[in-house]
Amino acid sequence: MALKEVKTNDKHIRNLANIVGGARSILYHKEDLLAYDCDGFTIHKHLPKAVVFPKDTQEVSKLVKYCSDNHLPFLARGAGTGLSGGAIPVNGEVIISLVRMKRLLHVDFENRRAMVEPGFVNLKLTNSISDKGYYYAPDPSSQYCCTIGGNVAENAGGAHCLKYGVTTNHILGLEVVLPNGKIIEIGKNGIPDSPGYDLLGLITGSEGTLGIVTKITVRILKNPEAKQTVLAYFDNVSDGSRAVSDIISAGIVPAALEMMDKTAIEAVEAAAFPVGHPRDIEALLLIEVDGISAGINEQISQILHVCENRNVREVKVAKDESERARWWANRKTGFGAMGAISPDYLVQDGVIPRSRLPEVLSRINKISEESGLRIANIFHAGDGNLHPLVLFDARIPGQTEKALAAGSACLQVCADVGGTITGEHGVGIEKREEMRFVFTDEEIKAQTDIREVFNPDNLLNAGKLFPSPGRCAEIKKEMKEAAL
Amino acid sequence: MITTSLHTDLNSLLPEGQIITGESKSHPLGNGGFITVFPKTEKEIERVLKYANGYEKKVCVQGGGTKRGFGGLMETADILLSLSKYKGIVEHTAGNMTITVKAGTPFHELQTYLAEHQQKVSLDPAWPEYATIGGIIGANESGPKRLGYGSPRDVVIGLQMVYPNGSMIRTGGKVVKNVAGYDMNKLFIGSMGTLAVISEVTLKLRPLAKYESLMLLAFPEGKFESIRSFVTSLLESMMEPAALELLTPSLSETLTGKKCYTLAISFEDVESAVHYQEEFVRSIQPVQTNLDILHQKEAGAFWEKLYTIGPNGAIDSTAKETEAAVKIGVTNLDGLHVLKESALMQDSHNLVIEGHAGLGHGLCQVNLKGASDDVLQAILQLRKFVEQLNGYLIVRHLPYVLRQQLSVWGEQPCHFYLFEGIKAKVDPNRILNDQRFVGGI
Repeated sequence: MALKEVKTNDKHIRNLANIVGGARSILYHKEDLLAYDCDGFTIHKHLPKAVVFPKDTQEVSKLVKYCSDNHLPFLARGAGTGLSGGAIPVNGEVIISLVRMKRLLHVDFENRRAMVEPGFVNLKLTNSISDKGYYYAPDPSSQYCCTIGGNVAENAGGAHCLKYGVTTNHILGLEVVLPNGKIIEIGKNGIPDSPGYDLLGLITGSEGTLGIVTKITVRILKNPEAKQTVLAYFDNVSDGSRAVSDIISAGIVPAALEMMDKTAIEAVEAAAFPVGHPRDIEALLLIEVDGISAGINEQISQILHVCENRNVREVKVAKDESERARWWANRKTGFGAMGAISPDYLVQDGVIPRSRLPEVLSRINKISEESGLRIANIFHAGDGNLHPLVLFDARIPGQTEKALAAGSACLQVCADVGGTITGEHGVGIEKREEMRFVFTDEEIKAQTDIREVFNPDNLLNAGKLFPSPGRCAEIKKEMKEAAL
Repeated sequence: MITTSLHTDLNSLLPEGQIITGESKSHPLGNGGFITVFPKTEKEIERVLKYANGYEKKVCVQGGGTKRGFGGLMETADILLSLSKYKGIVEHTAGNMTITVKAGTPFHELQTYLAEHQQKVSLDPAWPEYATIGGIIGANESGPKRLGYGSPRDVVIGLQMVYPNGSMIRTGGKVVKNVAGYDMNKLFIGSMGTLAVISEVTLKLRPLAKYESLMLLAFPEGKFESIRSFVTSLLESMMEPAALELLTPSLSETLTGKKCYTLAISFEDVESAVHYQEEFVRSIQPVQTNLDILHQKEAGAFWEKLYTIGPNGAIDSTAKETEAAVKIGVTNLDGLHVLKESALMQDSHNLVIEGHAGLGHGLCQVNLKGASDDVLQAILQLRKFVEQLNGYLIVRHLPYVLRQQLSVWGEQPCHFYLFEGIKAKVDPNRILNDQRFVGGI
């Protein structure tokens, strides 16, 4: 079969195509590039110069070296599910797509670890090892399509990270192509605590600005022996949030502890996976405990008792796995469900100290009233990670800006009560300016100093994570305030 | 003369009584200072560092001093900055399950306070009454219960630091989930104080276990196939041991009175779940093994004893022999080979060697005692052995003079230039814990 030819006068595109083996591994026509002008954050768009599809580490290294030598900006992309714009080519980057590097390289059950390529889809790992009773713990809602490489870049979380931790707690080793093309291996052989600064921890969550990960060794866990899931309906939000605190104070570490408010419930019930939640309740909690079978019932009865003490309207334990699965499908598709009640939505990702939940929810309510936009709340209540979803209609002039400003105001509230601006979605381009809510200029510089060590020419994923210095930031802030 | 002018300068920076001259120089473990300063506020730490940075004075940083013999090629720096008087709880809201403490707070003091709230920091470092939280984080120390609860990188959620130029830098935050910016906490955990002085630490807490048991499974015949097969069965089951530590016969004798390979298996959960797991272990107990079970305080006492068997840099050793401790990282079950080799070397090198290996995570601790040449030879031989298993060996405790005769950290990795780059950005004048870390950083 003859390969298609690369027909362009752009020598860089011809040379990049040569590195990856020709026209079948590169996109450069405008109509092909349109699919790559944004990721899961769709408010800002920009076309890349080209998209290349390397098949192995060596090709990634050669591509990176070529871009670096020729001063072409570049970035890595997985499935493009990121919610903060980390993979948007704001500088017309060459996108190095890692979707063809999607093999499960090795599973070592005895030592509880697996090695994957970055394009390997999160849920596929659990599916590949579940017959032996193992799973991979980080479970972002997009796990059916997001890649583990992207999870490493974003330090992705998920509903079950309350007990089991986020991606960084499960990464044992990485092969990384540095921005100069050099290939390094950190966390060698997956052995913990290798001597030296913890680059494994630093690179995980660096949003693709320090290097491109080409192999990942992850920890795999044995399935818990037993699992029980509870659904509790509350007539007011503060009873629900106090129940959250009481469960934690009782010394229970649930595997997951999720909350949805009335607007969110309206959306999930109108979308593809309704489970029949009452429409007139103000909040629901989805609580899961897992572990040794002999200890589960005791924890469940404590949880039921806590809910009753907090005036729960109805509380029930999942009868079987299929009921549990339906409850989770309803929750995990919560963001997309907003489409059933609003043309557009913007999801935020603040984190607060758990004890401030009632106060923060009432302030978010006020932001909603002031902006005239509805805000639904879906959150990982156990660890204080809120996802306010600002509902808007982009066709109405000015609403997008209003939504952005309302989202930013929610993050300001989180920062004010001692929290942070993102718990699992990353900063990307979306929250660059909001970094100032939680860090001083000096603290931001301490971070960009580290970036300079790895990425001195700032060709790799430039313009992400950190606010732009000086006046631009102030002007943008003023614009947001004016919009409010 | 130099000391006098240093003393005069520091006197203008700190209140009287917080500066001592001479006490800490020429210590057998090195890592001392001509002058010791005891800041009591962050502002005072800032003043000392700004001064040292401006005049290019070398500063050694110390908490409780338990790790004084861990790395370092300087016998006496200009200034020994002790955080032992910078201690106490800054903020604790029980409902948030987080705590912020000053770096010089001894670990045991912190745990005692938290126990009143039925909470704990889920770390189990050595010498908890002496070791400070700052030192534990700085040296990335973990114990056997790492299997169940992780290491400092899993529990630290925020740090406040004073950079060498005096800037106050916060990393992370006070909430349990946070991806705003780089995960800078990780850079400082285990950095051996070579980048900045940690002043405050914010930690994620866990509830105290409702019930605890310790199963001691002794293998009098020392058959490794039998140990391995039992460990594999336990790890493949759905049981959730908080620790699964194999002890060398010598260490087992010290801790349990029985001189044979012994597995220490810890379960922490609600009482019914603990007993259920004990039953499971009984059901797979290999023949020709002996099983003892300790509960609650008795189990706790065993671990407390284990935490104090190694050398402690804060106590002046009276032993005539040389004491050393090493940390070894290998792939999980290779810990079996490491312990076997260590036990063999006890006789071949005429040393007392006590070791334990975490068979769920692959980290081993080995303590050696004997003539200094024998200790050095044994460490080098053990490192060679471990490197054949693709692992690493770090010397955690050794007198200053002997540290000059071997590499505490082993070979530099090929990406060492990144470590140097990081050091150069954060501490360009190399004032902090100079030569204490990998490759002389």
